[in-house]
Amino acid sequence: MKSFLIITWWEFIRHFKSWSFLISTFVSPVIFAGIVLIPTLFLEDPGQNRVRMLGCVEFDTTGLCQGIQERFVDVNAGSTIPPFMRFITIKADTTPAMRIRFENVAGLKKDLDSLEDAYNTIKERRKFVFQKPKSTGREASLRTTYDELIQTREARDLAQIEYQHAKLQADSLWRIETMRYADHLLNILQLEGYLLIDTQEFSQGIVEFHSLLPSNFLEIEPLKRAVQVVIVEQRLKQEGLRVDKIQEWLEPVLFREIQLQGDDKEEFDFIINYLGPIIVVLFLFISIFTSSGFLFSGVLKEKTNRVIELLLSSVNHYQLVAGKIMGLGLLGIFQIIIWYGLTLLLIGFNVLNASQISFLNLTNACLFLLYFVLGYLYFASIFVGIGSLFSNEEDAHHLNQFMRMLSIFPIVLAVLVLQTPNSLLVRILSFVPPLTPTFMILRTPLGNPPPLDYLISTGIMVVSIIISIFFAGKLFRAGSLLYGKKPRLKEIFAILIGRK
Amino acid sequence: MRVHIDKINKTFKEKPVVSHLSFTVHPGRILGLLGPNGAGKTTTLRMILDILRPDSGKITFDDKPINKNIRNQIGYLPEERGLYQKYSVMDVMLYFGRLKNLSRRKSHVETVRLLDSFEMIDYMEEPVGHLSRGMQQKLQFLVSLIHNPEILVMDEPMWGLDPINQERLQQKIFSLRDEGKTILISTHQLAEAETTCDYFVLINQGKAVLQGSLEQIRKNFYQNMIVLETSQKPEILKKIPSIRKIDVQNSVIYLYLDGNAPIRQIMQEIIQTIEISRIEIHKPSLHDIFIQTIKNIGK
Repeated sequence: MKSFLIITWWEFIRHFKSWSFLISTFVSPVIFAGIVLIPTLFLEDPGQNRVRMLGCVEFDTTGLCQGIQERFVDVNAGSTIPPFMRFITIKADTTPAMRIRFENVAGLKKDLDSLEDAYNTIKERRKFVFQKPKSTGREASLRTTYDELIQTREARDLAQIEYQHAKLQADSLWRIETMRYADHLLNILQLEGYLLIDTQEFSQGIVEFHSLLPSNFLEIEPLKRAVQVVIVEQRLKQEGLRVDKIQEWLEPVLFREIQLQGDDKEEFDFIINYLGPIIVVLFLFISIFTSSGFLFSGVLKEKTNRVIELLLSSVNHYQLVAGKIMGLGLLGIFQIIIWYGLTLLLIGFNVLNASQISFLNLTNACLFLLYFVLGYLYFASIFVGIGSLFSNEEDAHHLNQFMRMLSIFPIVLAVLVLQTPNSLLVRILSFVPPLTPTFMILRTPLGNPPPLDYLISTGIMVVSIIISIFFAGKLFRAGSLLYGKKPRLKEIFAILIGRK
Repeated sequence: MRVHIDKINKTFKEKPVVSHLSFTVHPGRILGLLGPNGAGKTTTLRMILDILRPDSGKITFDDKPINKNIRNQIGYLPEERGLYQKYSVMDVMLYFGRLKNLSRRKSHVETVRLLDSFEMIDYMEEPVGHLSRGMQQKLQFLVSLIHNPEILVMDEPMWGLDPINQERLQQKIFSLRDEGKTILISTHQLAEAETTCDYFVLINQGKAVLQGSLEQIRKNFYQNMIVLETSQKPEILKKIPSIRKIDVQNSVIYLYLDGNAPIRQIMQEIIQTIEISRIEIHKPSLHDIFIQTIKNIGK
């Protein structure tokens, strides 16, 4: 027992003092957090870093852009996205040539209006003359005004054609210029995208969204909601409904997402209930593989430099293996305690909100620790057994990589737990030893598994650990003195079934 | 503590590595376990240390099988040296001392004492990896002595040491023998074994082919051979009956005699026949015995 404790302490302290432990405890989590959080920041909540500009282009004065802008703010109130989105109406920066053209159109309009007025005046005058009693001057007057009327009408019709032609030309040019300007804003990245409102198409429910980056098309849901509201408002107005009623009916619905937690119910929070457990699982895995990795490389080094022979002349195989597993297991637990302490510090400094780790209550923390210990003992015994078979670092390194990849497989399957934490498939997979620690840690805050599942999974893990330690002991006893050659599968099998 | 190896057998992959091997190592004696590569020396040492278990036969220590107390009285110097390279000399010695059931304090005291006696005290805080190869060899030897063991098992103890340190190590081994320790050395260096060991066991293919003190072995390995030096041509000696073969090596003449040849009479005849500067009955060295024995087995 004393030798076991001495080995435990030695393994703990020598790895605790190593750079590898410092890196895996303090640097790896930062890198890991970066890998997890940076894409999340960009994909899920891009507005947190910068204000995103959205534009709206319209070619008349119906004010639809203004309406959409107002509804955009109202409809998305409470969401995290709108405060970081700005919605602006795009006005083309008209050139002097364009201004002259518009002035010309305005002049033509003025001319047309004055001709129209003149025409109407002549018509009125003729009407007045016509209504007077017949006299010698009446006929002459009617004839004279008729000629005037015809001339003025011709002049007005010509002016109208000229005006419409000029206006059409100006409008087309202005439309082209406006869109060119809007596209320019996209190209220089001042706009993420813009809505193109054509009044006629808008009334039919058709709106165009123009953007440069593909990712922007995935993020226009808040804008779509606002446009939808404006279109519905417009249609209801056409049906003769009161504006205030329409706005009341179109108030956004507040969805409260309540998740069943056994006998309790809790409001669902993405970070608390979804991302949190995954992060905990990943951290526990970092710890398991840091410790198991130390164990693997430690055994390999001791075998390579023959220290193992010296150790085995002082203690037996079981004491040595057990001391190593225990020492590095304690190191893993210590690492978790450091992380837990750092988390509390982050809460203390208001970097983290305490509610965000509310799933780490005492019961869950104890369950996490239980499955960490079970998972560690299971993987550590496999690693120590296999590590003892090799004396060549290169061969062992390849196998180590392969083992790590296999061990990360449960995390890949974790998506099943996230979708349906208590489905039959997930429950069955929870009882498969390599998957048990990951699945049960994930299921605990997500699905509140029945007590029977805890009992069965713990029982299965305990039996699996006993079996794996038994075989690891056999491999270690035979493998620790096996030098200079790569063991073949046949030999490993022979060791396992006790023929060697 | 007397170590008795009694008809032990060990087989790997259906190939016998040690067969019916028996010998005894007595306190105050140094036993040399000799043999060619693959003879089963290291396997035998590992069985004595209980790292491997014999398939049959038994190993006793003062008539008792190995137990924790006995294990703590054995010091082991493995053939291929290696210690924790990143850790200080003191830490490493403390760790192995503690594993041998020494208290922390006692372990510390013994470490300082041993390092001082081997003039390594200045390196106490140095990482093992910073020491020269020879220093690491010495350190490994000290690790095997930290708990003042009753039994010392050493595999090629002189390997890699310079002559001065070989001499120092040998003196230490002698002093341990004189203190009554039981010492077992496995070595290839026969000249070193000849000067260090009191008793020899030569094993080949797992079997003891020869054992005893150097004198006993020489007696058993008695060769009818006369060595002489002369300025004359040795062919003249062929006329003397019982001289089977004449061999000349570096101006030294080896005369091989028949099995029952009367050596003294032949020597008289040689002296009368030619003028000699030296004549003696040949005493085979351990090396000669080793080579000859292995060759004979091969035949």
